[in-house]
Amino acid sequence: MHRILLIARRDYLATVRTKAFLVGLVVAPLLFGGGLLGVALLKAKPDIADRRVAIVDRSGTAAASIIQAAGEKSAREAVDKTTGRQVEPRYLFETVPADDRDANAQRLALSERVRGHQLYAFLEIVPRAGDPALRVSCYSEASGIDDARRWFDGPVTTGIQRARLVKLGVDPSLVGDLLTPVAVERLSLVTRDEKTGAIRKAHKKGELEGFAVPFGLMMLLGMIVLVGSSPMLPAVTEDKAQRIVEMLLGLATPWELMTGKVLAAVGISLTSSAFYVIGGTLALAGLGMIGMVPFALLPWFYVYLVADVVMLCAFAAALGSACSSPQDAQSLAVVLVAPVVIPYFLITPAMTQPNGALVTAASLFPPFAPMMMLVRQAMPGGVPAWQPWVALAGILAWTMLAVWAAARIFRVGILMQGKPPKIADMVRWAIRG
Amino acid sequence: MDAVEIASVTKTFDTVTAVDDLSLTVPEGSVYGFIGPNGSGKTTTMRMIASIFYPDRGSIRVFGRQMLGARSDEIGYLPEERGLYRKMTVRRVLEFYGELRGGRKVTAEVDAWLARLGMAEWAGRKVESLSKGMSQRVQFIAAVIPTPRLLILDEPFAGLDPVSAEVIRAAVLELRRGGATVILSTHDMNVAENLCDRIFMIFRGRKVLDGTLASIQDQFGNDTIRVSADDGFPPLAELPGVEKIRDLGQVKELRMARGCDPQQVLAVLVARTRVTGFSIVKPSLNDIFVRIAGPASEEVKVA
Repeated sequence: MHRILLIARRDYLATVRTKAFLVGLVVAPLLFGGGLLGVALLKAKPDIADRRVAIVDRSGTAAASIIQAAGEKSAREAVDKTTGRQVEPRYLFETVPADDRDANAQRLALSERVRGHQLYAFLEIVPRAGDPALRVSCYSEASGIDDARRWFDGPVTTGIQRARLVKLGVDPSLVGDLLTPVAVERLSLVTRDEKTGAIRKAHKKGELEGFAVPFGLMMLLGMIVLVGSSPMLPAVTEDKAQRIVEMLLGLATPWELMTGKVLAAVGISLTSSAFYVIGGTLALAGLGMIGMVPFALLPWFYVYLVADVVMLCAFAAALGSACSSPQDAQSLAVVLVAPVVIPYFLITPAMTQPNGALVTAASLFPPFAPMMMLVRQAMPGGVPAWQPWVALAGILAWTMLAVWAAARIFRVGILMQGKPPKIADMVRWAIRG
Repeated sequence: MDAVEIASVTKTFDTVTAVDDLSLTVPEGSVYGFIGPNGSGKTTTMRMIASIFYPDRGSIRVFGRQMLGARSDEIGYLPEERGLYRKMTVRRVLEFYGELRGGRKVTAEVDAWLARLGMAEWAGRKVESLSKGMSQRVQFIAAVIPTPRLLILDEPFAGLDPVSAEVIRAAVLELRRGGATVILSTHDMNVAENLCDRIFMIFRGRKVLDGTLASIQDQFGNDTIRVSADDGFPPLAELPGVEKIRDLGQVKELRMARGCDPQQVLAVLVARTRVTGFSIVKPSLNDIFVRIAGPASEEVKVA
């Protein structure tokens, strides 16, 4: 055991004493959180330049009411009433008479105006034969997910509803309240105060609640796992290339060597996590948001963290042992990050349908379980109580299998030189030892 | 007691048999030289003794115990390929290796060995700042802290300048005087002849020589004539009973065929040139090595 601890201590100190590690502690969250920061910055500095929009009404019934509804919406939303700052662009409409002789030529002419930046977009209202509904199209250079398209939905709907009412001979102002959209208020569940017994009112849920904690935990777990495990593959390959391993293998068994290295990676991950968890908690406490820290989930966070790092590092050590050069190792690095990267792709379904079949299955699949189960546990409402335990059993079994197989591959591969590794060879080494 | 007992050991890598049915006994307290051409199985044998490789068949006992993959603080191992953590200081890397093997603090021994090998002033320097010779001294120290009962040195003199080689040679002899058993591999036949009590030669995975230098030479008898001449050499072709001539520069070695009469050879030589030296000797280890492993390899047989 002393050999394992000595190797772990050496590798741990060799890593945490480097400038690269200290810089990485700061840079990694910037890289991971860069997207969120970018979104926040964009939100703080929105594009508020006026947008000129042409409207061609081939039905001859709806343009005026749509323009009126758009004007009302701009008046309501373009300026933040609390700060007085403009937060959205204003949409300025111009009505273009419909040229029904050659509609395509008219569309092309308007498109040229958009391309020439005279217009932001143009709307076309087209009647459907034998159908009271109208078809409204928005032509622009903006992408399909551009905010403006959603912005038009409300005024277009309201405008056309009003036009229909007029057509029916009903004054829209008389039924205005009937058509006012009703927003559903999102509230938490009602709870009882355990000390006083009083029933506590539900609180209004903000956008962050139900998103920030699960998302943040998942990002943090993935980031720390990568910080801890990603150096393993090049480190083993480098030790092998620099002929250090044979010296070490004269002093320690392959199992001791690999276990020591994995233990060092666990230590590095725990160090990083302490930095982020303590730092994050203090920061949130300072902002008066200590309630957002999911203390009840922290034990699970650390169990998943250690298991994930052990699992990935064991595989990294095995793959690194089979590589003769850092170039061989580079091509294999992609395989190793898959258990972290693939759950990131599943984050949207995990947060919108945390108990969906796909997400539940992914959270019980051992390689993805640490990240997927954590994000589900962090969602409001959580998961059935048995699921984390089943996932944990799977993770532990998978981790032990990974370490066992990796140790056998490591023992054979570590002194191999020359040819790049083949998956078939490694499977054979794992089975036959 | 024998330090190492190797019994019918075979080791195969894919389709290549690196060591084939090898049996060998290394007496305790001896310096045993392993010789053989590149790829003959020396390093594989040493790695198996150090438990880095496991034999496919047969058994290896070290001080009477079968190792079965365990590491022992009684064995010091210097691999052929040198490797040290380049970013660590000399002292830290030696303390790390020493503690790894001995399981205890080895600071005093590190200081003593650094002083003994003339490296004391380099203790605080990083390994990457050392010359090759210095690195090899450091690596040697790493193999002998704490003092092992069995020291395995794979090519310890390879690439060393004469001063460094002498330092290592003296240290090996000192360890032997202290009771350690030393196994070393070398391509330098002078080292094998002068430093080793016994010599083992492996060729194509099989043992072809094993014994003291004298016993090995006895197998070949006094079949070599070493001759030197004043004014260079006239053509030596067609000397009676001489089957091979090896040119060493100032001296030529003539290998006699069975039944050859050296007096007759001398008479022919004297008739052709002014002979200044003529001796009948046993073949050198180098000559024996070449006879076994040279391109002709006509004398290969399993010892």
